[in-house]
Amino acid sequence: MYLSLRGISKAFAGVAALDGVSLDVDEGEFVCFLGPSGCGKTTLLRIIAGLETPDAAEIRLNGGNLLEVPARARNFGIVFQSYSLFPNMTVTRNIAYGLECRKWPAGGIPARVAEMLALVNLADQAGKYPHQLSGGQQQRIALARALAPKPVMLLLDEPLSALDAKVREELRGEIKDLQSRLGITTIMVTHDQHEAMEVADRIVVMNRGRIEQEGRPVDLYERPANRFVAEFIGRMNVLRGVHGHAAAGIRPEQVELVAGAATPDCWTGRVERCLFLGSITRVTLGLDNLDGQRVTIELQGRRDDLAPGMALAVRLPPAALLRFDDPN
Amino acid sequence: MTTAAAPQGRSAPGLDSDRFVLWVLGAAVVVPLIVFVVVPLVAILRLSFVTPDGLGLGNYVREFASPKFGRIVANSFSVSITATLITVTLAYGFAYALKRTTMPLKRTCGAIALLPLYAPSLVQALGILFLFGRNGIINRTFDLGIDIYGFWGIVIADVLYSFPHAYLILSAALAVADARLYESARMLGAGPARIFRTITLPSTRYGIISAVFVVFTIVITDFGNPMVIGADYGVLATEIYNQVSGQGRMELGAVIGVVLLIPAAIAVLVEKLVTRQHGAAIGENAQPLQLAPHAWRDRAALGFALLVCSAIAAIVLVVFIASFVTLWPYNMHLSFRHYRFEVQNGLAPLWTSIWVSLLAAGIGVVAAVAAGCLARWLKPLQANLLYFLSVLPAAVPGMVLGLGYIFAFNHPGNPLEFLYGTLLILAICNVYHYHAQGYLIATTSIGQLSRVIDETSMCLGAGRLRTLSAIILPIVAPAIVSIGVFFFVRSMVTLSAVIFLVTPATQLAAVSVLLLDDSGNSNQAAAFSVCIMLVVAAALGLFHALVWVFARRRPLP
Repeated sequence: MYLSLRGISKAFAGVAALDGVSLDVDEGEFVCFLGPSGCGKTTLLRIIAGLETPDAAEIRLNGGNLLEVPARARNFGIVFQSYSLFPNMTVTRNIAYGLECRKWPAGGIPARVAEMLALVNLADQAGKYPHQLSGGQQQRIALARALAPKPVMLLLDEPLSALDAKVREELRGEIKDLQSRLGITTIMVTHDQHEAMEVADRIVVMNRGRIEQEGRPVDLYERPANRFVAEFIGRMNVLRGVHGHAAAGIRPEQVELVAGAATPDCWTGRVERCLFLGSITRVTLGLDNLDGQRVTIELQGRRDDLAPGMALAVRLPPAALLRFDDPN
Repeated sequence: MTTAAAPQGRSAPGLDSDRFVLWVLGAAVVVPLIVFVVVPLVAILRLSFVTPDGLGLGNYVREFASPKFGRIVANSFSVSITATLITVTLAYGFAYALKRTTMPLKRTCGAIALLPLYAPSLVQALGILFLFGRNGIINRTFDLGIDIYGFWGIVIADVLYSFPHAYLILSAALAVADARLYESARMLGAGPARIFRTITLPSTRYGIISAVFVVFTIVITDFGNPMVIGADYGVLATEIYNQVSGQGRMELGAVIGVVLLIPAAIAVLVEKLVTRQHGAAIGENAQPLQLAPHAWRDRAALGFALLVCSAIAAIVLVVFIASFVTLWPYNMHLSFRHYRFEVQNGLAPLWTSIWVSLLAAGIGVVAAVAAGCLARWLKPLQANLLYFLSVLPAAVPGMVLGLGYIFAFNHPGNPLEFLYGTLLILAICNVYHYHAQGYLIATTSIGQLSRVIDETSMCLGAGRLRTLSAIILPIVAPAIVSIGVFFFVRSMVTLSAVIFLVTPATQLAAVSVLLLDDSGNSNQAAAFSVCIMLVVAAALGLFHALVWVFARRRPLP
């Protein structure tokens, strides 16, 4: 076990932000903390960074007690959401700053700065000030600065949230590439499930200060432990009274259209909405024999044969159904 | 990159050195605030209770029973309330003209409105007397028999004196507006009068309240103008001076000082509460107001603004002219004889003032920036205590602070007694007299920097001192220079706190102006005022040149 967290609790003004969280992170792993705002994911990252003091916790890094090490001595690289570049310094000086603080020999600093600039493909921006760069470039420099002192771990606090959708997607790929090339243990906080699924080896889904589930993206999608995870990652139809379950879930792409006459194991309904979304078409169906409960279906490509008001029959394959215990 | 050895072991030295830095800075900020603000205040409070029969309410009973005292309190309040109403009304109109219309000459008018900040606090009264006094040019030319001395003289002088303060607050309030509100109102069919009543006025109400209390405090604590133009219309501030300097009745001076402290403190308290609350008056997504030209409105605005500006400029101009004529208003020939300064230590007080002001600028910058940094690092509760201590001086009238300094430091028991009679105590007194404003400039500039900067720097391995010197101070450098200029200018023109602390060897320029005028040499008083204003103008010019060079050398967002 590389990083080991045990029983982490933290309350702000009496309100629990983290409630006894335990987690292990392996060396070289890319872990994402995913959850809605206020779920405690950022607080957890800040406790790992040493920027926040937990009320109760045991944190070990390679067996050593991390709680005794102040933030500035931990040598973790950190990238925040925005505006963390020092505005009074050029790109070069920003990247060199951590090296100077960590007492690198002065002779070695320029070469390391150049290496980092090449790593993020911004060698031509070395002399510029942060405000002369685009948002995406600023975050790349922030990444280069965090990585320059060879940190033992990389912590990313919603590093892409302030960027435009297109830049965000681009940078997402670059972060993943960098991480696997350098093999550096990385924790990223995000509220964006797509972001988490794209970059993470393992996702930790959090809610109300607790971990709901952790696992590979595919595990979370196919076998969500509870309704919160099921609805937070991907889309999920939750239906009451199907095949005798109090509450059962099915992914929109698992619902099968039944052509021709209705068979006994299928449900009929009327198309309420039909949305063309490019690569897929999303159809909302009101089910006649389930008190009008709605089910969303995602079909490949364009479907001109479907229109609101049409009657339709669907099959909910039992193998694809997920049982939820709580009926809400 | 494989992992470097994981950090092991006990607290790195960094933690302890950061804590040490915090403690040293905390002591360096808080101890002087206690010694130079709280101790003098306690001294004056204590003295007000000292009677020949021991501590007691005797002084208060005697003072409150005298009919003269009641009259002086009534005078102070009627002058202050009248001047406040006039100033805030005029300043609102002026700020509205500059911020909400497309009238021409905005920059010029805005600059002229600030002139009174850069002149000794009695120049307004001096200028008014050159125009409307017994020996003023109007009475001498037209023989109108205008009697300006007393109530109206003080009111007019203080309106001009406090105008820039009200203008700055109100123009800040009028400068921000959400265009979407105004557009919605227009779409709903509201006319200009209704829009003004239902949107403009309510959205600037905090500015108005703030301006009212700031102006009230300035007027009720002003000493220079009532001294020059008040004649026998006594107010609290001049009465303290008369009791202490005229009759040597220290304890009665202390009683009046405490009485003056109460309304000033209440006004400052209300003002601070109001300004601290109204943080989120304008939403984050507010759209800036697009001003459209409007012929008659712009012309009316320009007319009004020019009227106000000419009143302010006329005073300065008259003082300027009077200093260059043989004997105003009888002999108007050009003459430089008033600049020979054959009395009152010659020009020495001007140099003393410059030295004291430079000292105050240096100490003030260190004190304000240190307090600003400390506020950034403290936890909320401690930061609130620091805020209270730092803005406390704003509630203390200069006369009261100066008197407190005498009681506290001209006392053999005080280990700092050696300061008494030095230039240093004058500089320190000015720094703590204006500490609130310096602190607020420092905290707004240092406080608006994102905490992410500190955290990033810390995670990169920097200690507090390095974060401060490498990042925070360079970013706020322009604000730091402006704090220095602020203390310099205030020290050049202030009169009220230092009037009790000057000695013949440490005479200050603003005090010289008062003494020259008092002894009937108003032309020389005018010449001395001009010298002060020129020094202030030079300092401001240098400041703007520095800012310009700084901005060119390193572009900041």
